[in-house]
Amino acid sequence: MRKTRFIIFFVFILFISLMFTHGNVYAQQNEIKIGVLYPLSGALATIGRDLQRAAELTADMINNKSPGVDLPMASWGGIPNLGGAKIKLIFVDHRGEPDRGADLAKRLILDDKVVGLMGAYNSAVTKTVSAVAERYGVPMINDSSTSPDLTERGFKWFWRTTPHDNFFNKDLFELLKGLTEGKVKGVKAIPKAQLKNLAYACENTEWGSGVAKSLEAYAKEYGFNITKGILYNANSPDLTSEAKALMSVNPDAMLFASYLSDSLLMIRTLKSMKAKTKILWGQNAGFEMADFAKTLGADINGVLTRTVFIDKITRVKKVAGQINALYKQKYGDDLTGATARSVVGVQTWAYVLNKAGSTDPKAIQKACNELHIPAKELVMPWAGIKFDSKGQNILGRGLIGQYQLKSDGKISLEIVYPFELATANFIYPFPGWK
Amino acid sequence: MLIIDALLQGLLIGLLFALVALGLTIIFGVMDIVNFAHGEFLMLGMYAVYWTNYFLNIDPLLALPVSAALGVILGLASYYLLISYLLRGPAIAQLFGTFGLMLFLQYLAMFLFSADYRMIERGFLVGKSISFGPFVFEATKLAAGVLSLISFAVVYYFLYKTKLGKALQATAINKEAATYMGIKTEKMNAIAWAIGGGTVGIAGGLLVNFYYAYPMVGILFVMIAFACVALGGFGSVKGVFFAGLLIGVLEMIFPVFGHLVGSDFLGPHFKFTVVYLAYFIIVVVRPQGLFGWKN
Amino acid sequence: MEKLKDAFDFSDFSRSERIGFIIFTIFLFIFPWLGVSSFAKTVMIQFMLFSLFGMGWNTIGGYGGQVELGKAQYVGIGAYTVALMMVWWKVPFWISMPIGVLIALGYSFIIGYPLFRLKGHYFAIATICTSLVLKDIFDNWALVGAAKGIELPIHDHPDFLYMQFKSDTYYYYFIMALFYIAIFYMNWFRKSKLGYQLRMIKDDEDAAESLGIDIRWCKIKAYSIASAFVAVGGGFMAVYNLYIDPASVMELSLSIKIALMAMLGGAASMWGPIIGAAFLVPLDRFLGSWLGGHKGLTGIDYMIYAMLIMIVSAYQPRGIWGIIEDLRKRGK
Repeated sequence: MRKTRFIIFFVFILFISLMFTHGNVYAQQNEIKIGVLYPLSGALATIGRDLQRAAELTADMINNKSPGVDLPMASWGGIPNLGGAKIKLIFVDHRGEPDRGADLAKRLILDDKVVGLMGAYNSAVTKTVSAVAERYGVPMINDSSTSPDLTERGFKWFWRTTPHDNFFNKDLFELLKGLTEGKVKGVKAIPKAQLKNLAYACENTEWGSGVAKSLEAYAKEYGFNITKGILYNANSPDLTSEAKALMSVNPDAMLFASYLSDSLLMIRTLKSMKAKTKILWGQNAGFEMADFAKTLGADINGVLTRTVFIDKITRVKKVAGQINALYKQKYGDDLTGATARSVVGVQTWAYVLNKAGSTDPKAIQKACNELHIPAKELVMPWAGIKFDSKGQNILGRGLIGQYQLKSDGKISLEIVYPFELATANFIYPFPGWK
Repeated sequence: MLIIDALLQGLLIGLLFALVALGLTIIFGVMDIVNFAHGEFLMLGMYAVYWTNYFLNIDPLLALPVSAALGVILGLASYYLLISYLLRGPAIAQLFGTFGLMLFLQYLAMFLFSADYRMIERGFLVGKSISFGPFVFEATKLAAGVLSLISFAVVYYFLYKTKLGKALQATAINKEAATYMGIKTEKMNAIAWAIGGGTVGIAGGLLVNFYYAYPMVGILFVMIAFACVALGGFGSVKGVFFAGLLIGVLEMIFPVFGHLVGSDFLGPHFKFTVVYLAYFIIVVVRPQGLFGWKN
Repeated sequence: MEKLKDAFDFSDFSRSERIGFIIFTIFLFIFPWLGVSSFAKTVMIQFMLFSLFGMGWNTIGGYGGQVELGKAQYVGIGAYTVALMMVWWKVPFWISMPIGVLIALGYSFIIGYPLFRLKGHYFAIATICTSLVLKDIFDNWALVGAAKGIELPIHDHPDFLYMQFKSDTYYYYFIMALFYIAIFYMNWFRKSKLGYQLRMIKDDEDAAESLGIDIRWCKIKAYSIASAFVAVGGGFMAVYNLYIDPASVMELSLSIKIALMAMLGGAASMWGPIIGAAFLVPLDRFLGSWLGGHKGLTGIDYMIYAMLIMIVSAYQPRGIWGIIEDLRKRGK
């Protein structure tokens, strides 16, 4: 009996003592700690793992000289203006829960005493995390959340490197306009009447519903007509009724904002219903993931996806190829839109720190506002990184890729927009299901 | 036209909902336990077929016995290792015991298989469709519908025509009386769990033909299964069958209705809200469910 | 006045419990000054918040014995009232929070009336369904921000009216005050007429009815009290996190978490919900930061968590408090 009591007492003491444990007490002097919040478990665990890998790879490249990469930072071996201090990334797992993210942000700021924050992938978590950062006056660079609202809040300590959803939706309409004007590689001009009717299906959380709204606005601006718009629940056991609703209006183009699971289900359902349309476009997330192509195979010949990075970029950008090769050698995958943004996030932090020459928040704030990273130093096909007064990178832009079935039976993602970067002829109209 | 189409599609998916819920209602009938981990049995059934298909290249429909066997084993294991201990406690402790099992199986699957979404790529019927006049059906769904109908028939036959099944029924109706008649409750419970696990394993095997498997997939279906079981009346096999069909049809008809009315607000994003609302209203009017005999 | 005295009267507890309670109170009071990490402070805030939820749930779920799994909708109502009133009309927290509680009360009567026609598992599933329906509506209702949720404006200076502080210590003492109000209220509640009636209903509904107790009305009252408690916590969540969306304040998993903590600690006991929260909240947060995904061990932390839930519910259905009581009895 004594024994059990003792065990209970012991467990209690263990709990109490846990409360007093500080993060990392043995921080080294010449280390700059950046807290990185990613969804490392839960439904997004896979993507979170990839993001973490890409961030680690980049930090490694900066801290230890990497001769194979033609970037100034690859030869730094630490942050030069800070006496060669190394960047140390502290990863935490917010599981996609906004309140957990906020608590972890406090831990990073107050206990681990990080210089700044990065993350958090999910827009909802980025909201609470950036609110904490704003309160404590700690700079946060967001690498991968695309909700347009994030930079509309007038925050002083929040910068975003990635273009947001409105950029991407605009790209789509530029592409459609390009089609009618004959600008697209390999396609003659198409009368607008043949492309006028669009229909969208967006998942109904914050991201998808935001995309839906912005699609409606751009359609009006560019003179297209949205004949059917539906919001649906991504966690739905069945999407037949959604697919039917889309097909009921015979649209010229079907537009989607879907996560991976529902994008797979949607395409499968459309295929089995033998849906007919001229253009199938997906707004990132599900459509650009490696698993999308892996699972659906030849079925997606002709499907479009917006993204920020396609491994074909390596043909036009040497740096992208070198970093991609490093990543592939270490983890066996190509960089994707998500992971490449993570690379850019860490890179931006390094540049900012170097420019600030100090870890003082005020100096970092100033450095962020004045930052300019030229296009040639990025893996992304962007015109560079430069933040406007709201903290949004105005030089970023998206890509639109098209899955194309090659003669060897493999599916490859080719760039079709921007037009000057196009790597293949556009397949129009959508060739139908295999 | 749209409505008839939606009706047929709804019946089809409803058959599968009913099969998922069948095990739940049998287990409930015999021992008054709501099994939260039911959806996880489904998930593991899906993985079982997925991996057999992936490694052995066996057609997913032929791999069904694997998922059924796994379901039976899971059902028996959880009965003897957990549920038999939980039975001593009140309903709420039982509920959370199975909730713990649910979490455990979810994260076990995540640990073993990672959070990736997995969908069958090769299979005889995968991606094919069959049309009857103007109506197009997914071949996999059609097969799933037919097979779940068969499973239902088999279970129904077992419960109402065999001696063992009748003993099970007796236990469900009155445990004490059944004990006096020499029916071993312990054995009956185990059988209920074996059938429950087996049927949901089959449902998982059918589902993975057209739905993706991932560790959290269970919760989606188990909520619908709960609504099915409660709507039909806890413990009623007939009830769960019709409730499943009803829910399937409701889910399909509602967006069509919204479309015809021309309202964007009544779109597909509310299709399951309507199901839950319907459950609430029906049950308030008829507190024992459609076919229930127990309170 | 007599009634008020009841709330502060702990004389029917054993000596060791009273001493434990006093030590615990002192510990809570000085906790922020012990040089603990700020993460520990956030964990303690979560602990007190979930104790508050759990104590609320305990009225209907514990003393009333009803399997209630829809508390998240009231967290949502409390949180949304505070957030919306602040964003739309700049109403201070101290006004919007009570209004949120009133709305939750009103809603709980409307929902509770049909709900308590149901019993047992029908009731449990129906509570889940009502909560899911409300969440789906909020998820798609553009006026209240839909799935996007609502962000509360950040004030540059600490503002007591709007409950905006930079340091968590203020939030800590605020939630601690709520926590103690809840404890005193529960101490009164368990000795109140309603408390006795509920326990009688739980033991034997037929007997209770024959004594002239209006069963349905009793349950509705307890359900509303529970909802009010939970709505207070919801209001706190809104000002504490400064961002709410249906997925974080109305999710089914939150309902389950609330009931789980109370049940695991020991339903229908004074200390049960507190012990449950004290056990599960730190376990969840600390296990997550030790064994979470950043170590490449996705899932292990939750597996341990789930094992503990299974072991406790199988070993002692009365929860951790039941285990402690057993030990005490055997010790004597």
